Amino acid sequence: MITRRTRIAALAVTILAACRRASFVLSSSGEPGRDEAGLGRLFTIVGMVVVIIVAALLLTAIFRRRPPADPNAIDRRGRGTLWILTGGVVVPAVILVTLFFFVLITLSTTAQPPYSNVAGTFEIVGHRWWWEIRRVDDTGRPQFVTANELHIPVGRTVRLHLSSADVIHSFWVPDLAGKTDLIPGQINTAWIEAEKPGVYAVHCAEYCGMQHANMSMSVVAESDAEFQQWLASQTADAKPPQTDDEQRGLDAFVGSPCASCHQIRGTPAAAIVGPDLTHLAARRMIGAGALPNTVGNLSGWISNSQTIKPGNVMPAMYLKPTDLHAIVEYLGGLK
Amino acid sequence: MATNAVAVPVQEQLTEIWETPPGVLGRLSSVDHKLIGKRYLVTAFAFLIAGGIEAAMMRMQLARPGQTLVTPEQYNQLFTMHGVSMIFLYALPVLSGFSNYLWPLMLGARDMAYPRVNALSYWVFVLAGLFIYSSFLVGQAPDGGWFAYTPLTSHDYSPGLNIDFYALGLIFLGISTTVGAINFIATLAKLRAPGMSINRLPIFVWGTITVSVSIVFAIPALTVDLIFLYFDRAFGLHFFDPGAGGQPLLWQHLFWIFGHPWVYIIVLPAMGMVSDILPVFCRRPLVGYTYVALATVSTGIIGFGVWVHHMFATGLPLRSMSFFAGASLVIAIPSGVAVFAWLATIFYGRPWFKTPFLFMAGFVFLFVVGGVSGVMTAAIPFDWQLTDSYFVVAHLHYVLIGINVFPVIGALYFWFPKITGRMMSEQLGKWSFWVMFVGFNLGFFPMHVLGLLGMPRRIYTYQADFGWGPLNLLVTIGALVFATGILLVLINVIVSYVGGAPAGDNPWDAPTLEWSTTSPPPVYNFAAIPTIRSRHPLWEDRLGETGRSEIYGGPLLLDGRETLATSPLDARARAVLRMPTDSYWPVTLAVSLTVFFYGALLQWWWLAAAAGVATAFCCAAWLWPSEDARQLPPGAVTNAETDLPVGQTGQTSVGGWGMSLLVLNEATFFAYLLFSYFYLSSLAQHAWPPEGPPALKLVLPNTLVLIASSVTAWWASRGIEADNRNRLRIGLISSIVLGAVFLTIQGFEFTSKDFRPNASAYSSSFFTITGFHAAHVLIGLLMLAVILIRAFRGHFRSSNHLAVTNAVLYWHFVDVVWLAVLFSLYIAPRFG
Repeated sequence: MITRRTRIAALAVTILAACRRASFVLSSSGEPGRDEAGLGRLFTIVGMVVVIIVAALLLTAIFRRRPPADPNAIDRRGRGTLWILTGGVVVPAVILVTLFFFVLITLSTTAQPPYSNVAGTFEIVGHRWWWEIRRVDDTGRPQFVTANELHIPVGRTVRLHLSSADVIHSFWVPDLAGKTDLIPGQINTAWIEAEKPGVYAVHCAEYCGMQHANMSMSVVAESDAEFQQWLASQTADAKPPQTDDEQRGLDAFVGSPCASCHQIRGTPAAAIVGPDLTHLAARRMIGAGALPNTVGNLSGWISNSQTIKPGNVMPAMYLKPTDLHAIVEYLGGLK
Repeated sequence: MATNAVAVPVQEQLTEIWETPPGVLGRLSSVDHKLIGKRYLVTAFAFLIAGGIEAAMMRMQLARPGQTLVTPEQYNQLFTMHGVSMIFLYALPVLSGFSNYLWPLMLGARDMAYPRVNALSYWVFVLAGLFIYSSFLVGQAPDGGWFAYTPLTSHDYSPGLNIDFYALGLIFLGISTTVGAINFIATLAKLRAPGMSINRLPIFVWGTITVSVSIVFAIPALTVDLIFLYFDRAFGLHFFDPGAGGQPLLWQHLFWIFGHPWVYIIVLPAMGMVSDILPVFCRRPLVGYTYVALATVSTGIIGFGVWVHHMFATGLPLRSMSFFAGASLVIAIPSGVAVFAWLATIFYGRPWFKTPFLFMAGFVFLFVVGGVSGVMTAAIPFDWQLTDSYFVVAHLHYVLIGINVFPVIGALYFWFPKITGRMMSEQLGKWSFWVMFVGFNLGFFPMHVLGLLGMPRRIYTYQADFGWGPLNLLVTIGALVFATGILLVLINVIVSYVGGAPAGDNPWDAPTLEWSTTSPPPVYNFAAIPTIRSRHPLWEDRLGETGRSEIYGGPLLLDGRETLATSPLDARARAVLRMPTDSYWPVTLAVSLTVFFYGALLQWWWLAAAAGVATAFCCAAWLWPSEDARQLPPGAVTNAETDLPVGQTGQTSVGGWGMSLLVLNEATFFAYLLFSYFYLSSLAQHAWPPEGPPALKLVLPNTLVLIASSVTAWWASRGIEADNRNRLRIGLISSIVLGAVFLTIQGFEFTSKDFRPNASAYSSSFFTITGFHAAHVLIGLLMLAVILIRAFRGHFRSSNHLAVTNAVLYWHFVDVVWLAVLFSLYIAPRFG
């Protein structure tokens, strides 16, 4: 008996440990997620109480003691109307009206971003299957473009303008905010604010085709100083090649199909079909969250990303091993 | 025992009248609602199994992170076809199967109002299902999700046949659903036994009638949406193309205007089953019959006002979202009424722990869980977290499995003895319930948690880092346990079908009319048409009812296939109806429609055109009256047994109900077309119409032509009412000529435009709307032409001219629609 209980406890610990890194939308690490979570907890608790009460009533109704009776008898005992009017109409109506009141209150605090302490605006454009991120200044002029990793300052609001270059996607940072769709032909607005530093996962939440599952990105919340530094480094052009290897890498990049889709600002590579690679090495992941950004993963991705993320738009590259090596070397230096 | 009240020779005579010809060929022609009902049930369960296999493959893939059992392409086809199968090919058809089998038996009729339409409805259902499934043969099954959001499903992003199978298959299936619904409405309105007033209907009937009315208004939204999708894909139109004035969200609005009512359409009849079956196993009538019936109807109505809660994350204005959130909360109240009616029925009853009771009681719990999670998704800010996450997957499975599958399996245990004459195994039955119940909760409850842990829907894999692995393994295990439960049910069905204990007429001692017949019922259902005096005809003695139904005595109606027509509300006998005989036209028509849709799929226009002509021919041949019907003597015929007139004419006749409902359905179709036009124009970035308001010089005189044709048609039908056959012929000829003139002038109007349909969203709407109107004019002309030929053959008299009334009604409808089109496309832009 004890062993079984221990085993169950061990299993529970394993499950919880595995879930440790997962988000949990009922306990958010930022805004507007915190208010959404508050409303969510209210609804969850009320819902659980309702389920428990009805389940108890159901069990009571089934198993209550009854005087013996003729099995063939049919009769109409009992006044059920009272059950229906109280349990089915009055009580639910009171609960629902109250809940609706809280919905409206929460809407007023979550739908619009605060006006003070705003750390600017980013435009996020959904692509199959990655995220283009553009920093714009207060007049809407673009400052720089990057992809799949957004930095925000802790404790300050960041506004987001969301749209799509192809199909509908949806931007979801479970830890910070619910979803807002990215829809071609319209611009939706959203906002986020993190309470503490950390790396928060973003998932595409609207089915967008073959690689919907591998369309993630990261929101990195950091101090305001680090954030300003990030802005500055992202605004700058790519660092020129420092070594012969890197120079060969740049030449190979520009001379290969790579440059027909990707941009590295400050070099002749200026296409904007795929993600901007100007500061690729500064990102934590590659392939929109598919793999950690390591030398090995990057070479694997470049030589044949189809084995990692089947169906993604980047074709397999048939590069000479020396070229591949040089390109990885060069990209690895683009902090 | 019971049917002995009618002499054996009479029973033999009735069998001869109603029996389907033997053999496979004979069965293809059958219109027996019981046979059709059984076919529906078997076919729907086959699709349930197919959808279940798809689900099992998905669950194996998701059992652990990063698996590669299926490719992303295959996974996307699997989840799409799982949804399409369960929602379209299982959930409603299985309920239609029960309704088809049970309605005439519950209502005291010998068949449905339109037995041949019933056959057509089945054939179209199975052929549309096979049409969609044939996509697997070419490896191009639909892969855009059952909701198929544009622009992902546009030609640019889904160039294969996948989405064409989806769009055309569902348009095709919609025909089955729509004619089936019209059939139920007309059956309820006209074919109940005398005394079966609306306050005596089983709640299951209330459920089916509510959803049938909903279907008439909901399906056109989907059909319009799918037509836009197909036109965008096949002809390069721009309804959903943001680059040319289209709107991706138009798809979502139309889809959910259909989609949310659809959710209630596939649960309300199942809830009705619970309301009827639960009392049998509580040994008392349902508590709060009237409240439950009203709750059923009001759920169907409010269900049309909640669609936007599927779109809270699309950036709509807050005020309109709040309205829909409120409506989504309000709809919980009728559900609460039903739950407490069931609870009180159990509380005040004496539970009898048979398998159906277990399913019904288990259902009540699952219903509350699904309802509560539904209320949670109505909380807009919280829904931003929940929508498109696994929480919603959990919610919708609690709703669809909890409220559809559990009652349906319970209903199978309950009605299987009636359908087959054999009992199902109780022991296996209880096992199947507990395995299903435990497996379901084990598999689907953790999905709520996965959603709260941030797992999005529709992903073919996930990384171990996200921490979703252990719960997904649990979900997979639970789902497989649940599938085992379903397997036990199927084994039970087979074993019991072969060797179950004989059931007898009424093994559960149930109160409703279907249990008064033998098990299985005779082909004619009732030897004598019963007269009903209470809600529980078989419990009257024990409930001490004041009236006593006459179940085993009543009119025999032996002059061919006949049943009684009664008045819509209080069910007074009004007429004796001649029912259609078996026919090959329904199956032929369904086959020619199938060819049409394959033609459209492959864009082999010659094939589609040929099939279109064949379809029109089948319709005309179908409607051509039998020798029998034409030989009705002039003047009224009276049935000697009942002293009632034979056959009916006028707007309140059975045929009149059908045409009126068809017109209503078609009018709704045009309403959604015009809604789309105004939606696009209200969001247009550029001038709408781009070239300024369209010119009136052709259409205004043309409108007068069309109005004139309505006047002559009216004059013609008034003529035959006065037995003036010349007036009928002259009036019809005038209408046909005027209609043809209208179409010709419309042709000039089309060619006078200097833009083509594929120029912009405006031109797409303009040509689609006016084009569909012109197509309806053509259909109306064909109807009038058939009527004219029949008029020359002398088919019509003042006592027998229903076909004229119906064709003229359709013609008026076509003209009224034109006025709406004229106002919207030509007049409104002048004031915009």
